[in-house]
Amino acid sequence: MIENTTKEFEIAITSSIDSIFNDDIESQILSPLSCLREYGTHWLLEFDLPLVNKEDIKITFDEDSISVEAKLKETYSEEKLGKKTKFEYFKKSIILPDKIDNNTSAKFENGRLKIIIPKKISNHKIKIE
Amino acid sequence: MKVSKKISPENVLLVGFPSNGLVGTFTISYLINNLGMKQIGEIDHPDLPPTLFVEEGEILHPIRIYKQNNIFVIMSDLPFDPYLAHDFAESILKYCKKNTIQKIIIVSGMETINGDPKAPKIYGLVTHQSLEEILYSNQISKFLTGSIFGADAAIISVFRKSKIPTMILYAECHPFFPNPEASIIAITTLAKILNIKVDTIDIQKKMERLRIQHRNLMEETIRTLQQQENQPTRAPQIYR
Repeated sequence: MIENTTKEFEIAITSSIDSIFNDDIESQILSPLSCLREYGTHWLLEFDLPLVNKEDIKITFDEDSISVEAKLKETYSEEKLGKKTKFEYFKKSIILPDKIDNNTSAKFENGRLKIIIPKKISNHKIKIE
Repeated sequence: MKVSKKISPENVLLVGFPSNGLVGTFTISYLINNLGMKQIGEIDHPDLPPTLFVEEGEILHPIRIYKQNNIFVIMSDLPFDPYLAHDFAESILKYCKKNTIQKIIIVSGMETINGDPKAPKIYGLVTHQSLEEILYSNQISKFLTGSIFGADAAIISVFRKSKIPTMILYAECHPFFPNPEASIIAITTLAKILNIKVDTIDIQKKMERLRIQHRNLMEETIRTLQQQENQPTRAPQIYR
């Protein structure tokens, strides 16, 4: 395992000083950024998973939630508030506003996981008077 | 004997703040570091959240001014809500007048339909005709149609009414995830415009870790930008 201590540019982008607060330091788990967008026929759920290889990603789902776990290809370290913390995994669960269709598909490119969830179309008709 | 007067290069101001994909933030902070720029001041505002950053024991104000030769930089580590964006733009204008800035370049990011994340493009928008030539000579496609909001819009609105021409460079990016890859095209374009040498190897090496490191700033930026989206607009519903 290669260890990387992240040292930001000398002029740091400083606002992320509390970025570790959403992460699980004890279990060495990072919480990835994600976004859910609605399109006409599907939902697009994306996770930002840098430092991850496709084969190290596990996606599971139940009725209305999707969970993503991924092992980092290198240990990610941050030194914040005088404490050095190391992370080995990404993990996050998202509850969706719709039930998950079996035709859900996923694609991983440039460290971004895209999950396409087709919308369930009901056949209930509304009569126009 | 001919005596020629030395023409000093015009003063240029670069502006970067957190917005889509954090492109402006990555680009400007990388340039500051790469060019070895020195901090010469800071911009304060009574409505800014009372925030200071500490880096290697040094206290940093969130909005800082840097300079090297004829290049000035204003960089913010805080995203601006709609109320602060206009005041920020006015502060920049005041600063430009005081320091005889002749041109402003803002770096930001935008999402495009069918954009290739592996080869992001850059688009430019100018407030004055005099900068059109820079777009053309640097093969920067013109931003033709779309909407702009937030601090970008505030600065453009203020400067298009002033005599200081402003250019906005928009690199294609993912709007909700930190996108240092997109900032590389912004860095190389800026280097061409300013006729300076900037090596992007360092940022290329750190890209994946930068994406992890700046998750929180990205979230904070989205929250701030969404504040504006949730504001009631004055346009009648029918026109939305």
